[in-house]
Amino acid sequence: MDETNPLANEHPQEPLSAEPSPPPPPESIDTAPDDSEAENKAWGVAIAGWLVPGLGHALQKMWGRALVVFLTVGSLVVTGASMRGNLFTARGSDAFDALGYVADLGTGVFYFLARTLERSGADVSHAGGDYGTRFLATAGVLNLLAALHAFEAARGRKA
Amino acid sequence: MKTAAGLQLTHIQAFLLFAVVISIAFGFLGRRRPKDRIKYILWSLFLFLVVGIGIGWLMYPFSR
Repeated sequence: MDETNPLANEHPQEPLSAEPSPPPPPESIDTAPDDSEAENKAWGVAIAGWLVPGLGHALQKMWGRALVVFLTVGSLVVTGASMRGNLFTARGSDAFDALGYVADLGTGVFYFLARTLERSGADVSHAGGDYGTRFLATAGVLNLLAALHAFEAARGRKA
Repeated sequence: MKTAAGLQLTHIQAFLLFAVVISIAFGFLGRRRPKDRIKYILWSLFLFLVVGIGIGWLMYPFSR
């Protein structure tokens, strides 16, 4: 071998064109129980966040987000109910009622708070009542989004 | 104003309240650093207002 050649192979037993060796196998594959536990915890966080707006983030010590979710969802529910928006029930007659019910249920326990606030029932004969319906549905969808965010954060995704 | 008919908000009041509340929620959920949150809130609020008022003006010729 020419020792003056800078391109000479320093390790004659390993050809230059050899494929890189595959990474060594993991030493142990007993991480499945931890993954399962983390997954269960993430689902618990998501359900908690759905039932009580902000609780999913509070359980992960994301206090600012928890407070903001609680206040925004709460303010939308209180405003929508005060405007006498329509709060859908399970006894809807068509698909739009069913969708509205799902959206309203997204507020978790605030759904029952809204029912308590709306003692006079809904009144969508004026624009305010119609806006109130949108406020209530938006509160539910926003809380579902927040619960999904808390779920992803609990799974370790960037949040 | 609270009346027997419930809370009465004008169109623009309801629109502004909705835009502000949703923008704050989006800012806190979508960004982590305080400075980024404020920028996102303001940008989201601006887009809400522009799109909302824009759609309102687009519908104006068909309102009569």
